[in-house]
Amino acid sequence: MRHSLFLKIGPATFRIGSAWRQPLDHLKTLYADYPAADGGITDFTVRLEPSAFLRRWVRPSIFITGDHGLADAAPMSLDHGLLAAEMGMNLQMALGWRRHLLLHASSVEKDGRALVMTGESGSGKSTLAAQLGERGWRLMGDEFALLDLLTGELLPFPRLVSLKNGAIGVLAAEAPSARLGPLLTGTAKGDICHLVPRADAIVRMGERARPSMLLFPRFGHEAAVRPVGQGEVFMRLTQASTNYVALGEPGFAALTRFVQAVPSHALDFRSGEEAIDMVERLWAMRE
Amino acid sequence: MTVSLYYRQDGPDALVACALEEMLLLYHRPSGQTHMVISPVPEILGELTAGPLAAGEIVDRLAQRYELGARDQAVGAVEAHLAEMTALGLVRAA
Amino acid sequence: MNALPLVRALREPASAATLDVPGWNALIAMARAERLIGTLAFRLADQPLPPAMQPILADARIDAERESRQALWEADRAAEAIKPLGLPLLLLKGTAYAAAGLKAGEGRFIGDLDILVPRASMPAVERSLLDAGWEWVKSDPYDDAYYRQWMHELPPLIHSSRDRMIDVHHTILPLTARQRPDAEAIMAEAVPITGQLSMLSAEDRICHAAAHLLADGDLAGGLRNLWDIHCLLKDVDAEGLEERARRHGLLPHVRQARRLAEALYGAGARLTPWDRLVRARLLARDGWGRETHKLLRFGFYLRSHWLRMPPAMLARHLWTKWRKGHRPA
Repeated sequence: MRHSLFLKIGPATFRIGSAWRQPLDHLKTLYADYPAADGGITDFTVRLEPSAFLRRWVRPSIFITGDHGLADAAPMSLDHGLLAAEMGMNLQMALGWRRHLLLHASSVEKDGRALVMTGESGSGKSTLAAQLGERGWRLMGDEFALLDLLTGELLPFPRLVSLKNGAIGVLAAEAPSARLGPLLTGTAKGDICHLVPRADAIVRMGERARPSMLLFPRFGHEAAVRPVGQGEVFMRLTQASTNYVALGEPGFAALTRFVQAVPSHALDFRSGEEAIDMVERLWAMRE
Repeated sequence: MTVSLYYRQDGPDALVACALEEMLLLYHRPSGQTHMVISPVPEILGELTAGPLAAGEIVDRLAQRYELGARDQAVGAVEAHLAEMTALGLVRAA
Repeated sequence: MNALPLVRALREPASAATLDVPGWNALIAMARAERLIGTLAFRLADQPLPPAMQPILADARIDAERESRQALWEADRAAEAIKPLGLPLLLLKGTAYAAAGLKAGEGRFIGDLDILVPRASMPAVERSLLDAGWEWVKSDPYDDAYYRQWMHELPPLIHSSRDRMIDVHHTILPLTARQRPDAEAIMAEAVPITGQLSMLSAEDRICHAAAHLLADGDLAGGLRNLWDIHCLLKDVDAEGLEERARRHGLLPHVRQARRLAEALYGAGARLTPWDRLVRARLLARDGWGRETHKLLRFGFYLRSHWLRMPPAMLARHLWTKWRKGHRPA
């Protein structure tokens, strides 16, 4: 393809090809401190192609695909090229990763122990992880948590944090502007801005942690903490995993072990400060 | 369609079980599907490990350990469970 | 660039040792795009590989295992569903290869479950499947009528809880195609795999694969279909195959399939100009996994419809499809 870039995030490597220069220039800037993946065999190929022949030049429009793709993926404007590239990488992980159980969850680490947060988009899991990542925790990932099938450890996947709408201002107040990407307005999910994780999250992206708590955060509700039954946890995690079915029996073994070993709570909150307080207290109380 | 009276397990190693509190998770190897079941499904499956049985025989065996109430009703309930389990492929008409 | 590196790696796994890093990346992208990565993983299993290749191929083997498990389970479910009819489940293509443990099935991607049933049994099979939880995929009346009138199969069914498709055929080519394979002979010669499952005879497996590749489709996924044929050819002798192909009116297709399989995956063969065009279409894939030669692809797309239908009907069909927004890839 006309332009290409190699990236390594956690255990995964990507070869990204693009018909345009702009999306890759953004990636290069934001991933500048990540270890180089150039010259290596990559796990996945991502392609950013014109959605139709003339769409390279006229009202450029990106079709996201690669080794794994969705035939009916909506084309995106070139102005959102950075987002398209990120979505392209996510797509490969979600559809193609088989080395670990992949949970749609954010995770942070302290003292070798990991806190995992999962929930629907809008639950606040991503923002909460990003904030904790600015306050003494190591951000392991805002989107995917990778569970080792044999050891049960959690692997980091610290890609850029994708901040949406209200979360952008929250993190802009905590993180230096040099770590923020361009503001992308009018995407399918509203405004989006990418945040480069703190240096320790990137340097330590090969370092695993033992999962020690699972939270189901829910933003916009009266503050409350509730226990969640193991059966429900299991069901919600199978729904939050894109490769549970594909992995077969090893996936079953890894997930049941996780559910039995990791205490879980539902966490309702109205503001980030409130949630962080609750998280720190729950974390301190865990045995 | 003929209704068959006897049911058997889908092979001796077909299921991997894991208890989560009051639930029992079953991983069914031939299909790769996970099923979440509660009593009396595990008990019925347990009886079938001995060999093919009809619903009535299962009820008689279970009645030795559990209070099942009226036999007719219990047989009907077990039949219904067996039909569901057959549709999922967890047991087969023998 | 075309897909020759993929073909070479499948033909001669030891040749992969000469690949450089960009060569490996291109090979992976092509193999995934052609749905041959699982097959490639099996072929390269005993080769010395760069460390980064091991997990990639291990992933492909996991996917292939799942493909096979799911395909066999669907076959089991369909066999259970039609058991009261007293018919064996006659499996076609990937599921048959997996069930019988054929080399063509090793690492193979398996999509839908394809089965063959006597035309007279179609309504009963349809009812049994609907009773067992399968339902219609298409609700478009034009498509439904088209299938029932002109195709060699029921409109596709999907299982309501397992989300897997089944195609029920009563012969191996559409009724509109120029060749008329002898469906009764095909079923009469079927060979059992297990008590409930059976498959086509070794000769008919090739006739079917060749018909599907060269007399029916637009050659999408052709490299994989040709790999099947290459593997299946090991189970037949040339004379028996020719005789069978002649009986089905598929002799030119089977011969061409053999030439192409020999040329790409075997020791080489003399190709006709038409063979070369087909070969170019089969190899139209670049090192990013992209389709190349759009015009050639479109030509074969048109041809696939031409082969299936008389021209007036073709025009009507393409017009109806076009209005509904269908465009060739």
